[in-house]
Formats: sequence, C-alpha cells, structure tokens
Amino acid sequence: MAEIEELQREGFRGPSDIDFKNGPSALDKAVHLFFFTEIIRGMWIVLEQFFRPPYTIMYPFEKGPLSPRFRGEHALRRYPSGEERCIACKLCEAICPAQAITIESEARQDGSRKTTKYDIDMTKCIYCGFCQEACPVDAIVETQNQEFSTETREELLYNKEKLLANGDRAEAEIAANLHADHVYR
Amino acid sequence: MSLYRTLRNLQKEGLKTWWRQLQYIGDAKSGTFVGADQFGNRYYENRNGEEEVPGRHRWVDYAQHEYNATQVPPEWHSWIHHIRTDPPAADPIIQNLTPPWQAPYVENLTGTRGAYKSYNTAKPKISAWEPKVASRS
Repeated sequence: MAEIEELQREGFRGPSDIDFKNGPSALDKAVHLFFFTEIIRGMWIVLEQFFRPPYTIMYPFEKGPLSPRFRGEHALRRYPSGEERCIACKLCEAICPAQAITIESEARQDGSRKTTKYDIDMTKCIYCGFCQEACPVDAIVETQNQEFSTETREELLYNKEKLLANGDRAEAEIAANLHADHVYR
Repeated sequence: MSLYRTLRNLQKEGLKTWWRQLQYIGDAKSGTFVGADQFGNRYYENRNGEEEVPGRHRWVDYAQHEYNATQVPPEWHSWIHHIRTDPPAADPIIQNLTPPWQAPYVENLTGTRGAYKSYNTAKPKISAWEPKVASRS
C-alpha cells in the first residue's frame, strides 16, 4: 500500500520545498516584463563577448592540436639507407577491414621480395590504422597529414609511387612521431 | 574581435604587420618570430596566456597570396599542429631523423596540372588478342 501511495504522490519528485509566497511580487515581475530586463541582460552578454579575444582557431593560419598517433594520409617508408621497407608480406592487405589495399609482389634480381603493386583506395579506407599495426617492418604508416583532399576521385586511388613519395617527403616527421610513441608500444 | 587586443597588437607590431594580418589572418596577433621554412612562410609563437588565447598561440604567415594549408612542410606541420614542442631547427630528434634522401616537399597540387594521376605500377595480367590475317596464296 505504501508503494502505491508513493506512486500516487503529486509529481514524481513529490511536493516542492520552495515556498512561492516568499518569491518576487507581481509588481517586480511586471517591471521585469515591461522594461525588457531579460532581453537587455542577454544583449549585455553579447556585448561582453565582443570585447573578448576570439577563441576561433583561424585555419589555415593556426591549426588545432594533433596527436603523434593521428591517422591521416598513408605513406610507405624507407630504411635510412634508402631501401624501401615493404617486404610484401601482405599482412596489411589481409587485415584491412575495408579491403582498400591491393598488393602484388615479385622477387627482385637480388632475391629480395618487393612489391610491384601497392595500391590503396583512399576512398575505401576508413583510417582505422590496422595496416600500420599489422606491419612488421613499419613500412606502411599513416602520417599526420590530413590535408590531402582532391578535386577528383581518381586522385585518391594511390599507387606505390605516390605512397613512397609521401614517405620520402615526410620521413623526418613520421620518424619523429614514431620516436615519440615508441615508449608506449 | 576584441578592441583592446587589436589596439594593443597594433601598437606592438606596427601598422604594416597589423594591416597584413588583418588582410590574411583576419585578426591582429603579436608574438615572437620562431623561424621560416624553405618556402618563405614565417612562423610565430606567443606562449603568454594573458596575451594570446591558448590553442591559438602558434601561427603561420604564408609567403604566397594564394595561401593553402598544405604549403606548410612536414617538419613545420608537426610544430604548428602542436605535435612537437620545438621548431624543427631546434629539435634534435627531427634533425637526427632527417635522412639525406628526403625529397623536397610539394604542396597538394590538386586542381592544377601537377595533380597526381593514378596509374598501374604492375604489368597487366591479360593481353589483348591481336588478330592477324594470313595472306591468301
């Protein structure tokens, strides 16, 4: 019975603790209503914002913070000697959930296995970072570059040359980011 | 835009810099010159939290009128994105990890004649049949 009375109570919070008899008088409320005090207070807040420094990050002059683990455009890396790292093990191709990577390989004249084709369809890629986690030689990485938008769809079908060129340009940044993160791996 | 801040930065930076900033960044900023990259883009910093809103304390003054976010080379990119604390010239890790074969940086050339165009790097697996008509004797 007590439970039913609890449910039948007025409002789900029960009776209010506030005594409305001690609140503002009808005259006070009428003054606030007819003199637009709330509107003026709101406009005053807007005016205050006008004299404050803007918080907006003025891209592209200023840019927001990024993590060294940020996953952006892909790149294929090289060893410090200039030899390309990728050994065509195809682990990235196997793990890629969007199946965006296509690899074909051949043995080179010196007997080392290298890719002849390493294509990433950047329109399929979901930037999950599994490829760089799967890679045993840190060959495929996702760089911190997020500004690789293109005008046509075809430009996003990256081949091996494009990925290597990305790595060749940004090697210092990629290596520094991997160095910053190496203690957590 | 804060009036006080704009006038203070005008007084600090001088009329010429102030006008250029209003033409490009659209906001008057003052700070110390940190360095310039190979393209002539100039990088500034103001780490005083009283003067500059934290998060907006690093900025670039592009050399070109037709500026573009990808004109920032990768080393400075990691500085301006707050990934690295020090500018590339003062960062020993960036300096040591720069290989001698590092290629010169080019901006995103999409929409221009230099845009990347995809092509096949492997030999095609099928070859078309070319019919040859034997001459009738």
